[in-house]
Amino acid sequence: MFAVADTCFLIDWARWRRRDALFGVFRTVFVPESVLGEVRSEATLSWVVESMAQGRLSLFTETPDLIEEARSLVERTRLVPGLRGVDLPEAVCLVAGRRWRYVVLTENRGVLMAADILEEYRGVRVWRALEVIAAALRSGVIASSRPAEVFAEYEEDTKHFFPRRDLEAVLHELGGEA
Amino acid sequence: MAASRWLELEREAREVRRRMADWDFIRRQPLRVRLALEYYIETGDLYVASRIAGVTVEEMNELRVRANIPNVA
Amino acid sequence: MSLEERLRKWLELEREAREVRRRMADWDFIRRQPPRLRAALVYYVETGDIRTSAKLSGLELEDFRELLRRANVPVVV
Repeated sequence: MFAVADTCFLIDWARWRRRDALFGVFRTVFVPESVLGEVRSEATLSWVVESMAQGRLSLFTETPDLIEEARSLVERTRLVPGLRGVDLPEAVCLVAGRRWRYVVLTENRGVLMAADILEEYRGVRVWRALEVIAAALRSGVIASSRPAEVFAEYEEDTKHFFPRRDLEAVLHELGGEA
Repeated sequence: MAASRWLELEREAREVRRRMADWDFIRRQPLRVRLALEYYIETGDLYVASRIAGVTVEEMNELRVRANIPNVA
Repeated sequence: MSLEERLRKWLELEREAREVRRRMADWDFIRRQPPRLRAALVYYVETGDIRTSAKLSGLELEDFRELLRRANVPVVV
């Protein structure tokens, strides 16, 4: 399974003590050039570059036609009243996800909304850290008898907070209550 | 050529790059350039290294030369 | 689900997330910030729109994310 990651996902995920679990879930995670350009901190950049050298992350070069479609998506998200607009780096990921069936990794609500509301993007799998961690637990990439603690670790390390309702649903499915 | 032979060639090339690199020069560079040079040493991939550094391929090649990292074809 | 129902669902999720951000934020820290950063942090608490907030702050995205951590403002997604 392949994925494409946006900046919002990477800059949080890179702070997690179990960040390499990502590579047990996905064969390769693509990082668009526009996303790479936004990563700034030494810690995050070092992990990204090291993972690229190991072939676990892979640079994704946006082609002109893909960028054009992404720009069009940026505009479309601003035409639907109530729909949060997405910016170009996120739009690139969503377009790539649709074209090549990559799982889109994001923490951007605009992307989640676009994949839910815009008909041509409804088939795209968009995962947050919540879904990635759930997949890692389900598949045994992360072995834990207390899944709630694994999610709590993520919240602690990254200061990213999972919506309680969504977290409870995932924990219920995994068999470990909050 | 068998895949194992390619892997062996790549391993040898990486060792040459590591051994010949001017690590003092590399350590003195700004973050992105340093990481790009280290990435290049590990992989020999100039284009991706240039994206990490945020420079053109030609500029990255110039950095490679200044860091004394050979292009091992 | 119709478009209106979907939008209503997202609106509710956003309302809940905003309440969490408001409740958890370190308002003393936020008040002590220079005007531009303070405005960007308040904007983020209210909207959850990190890209616009980062642009308002004048910081790069990752730097603004770090500011959110220091302000104890969670990303709720």
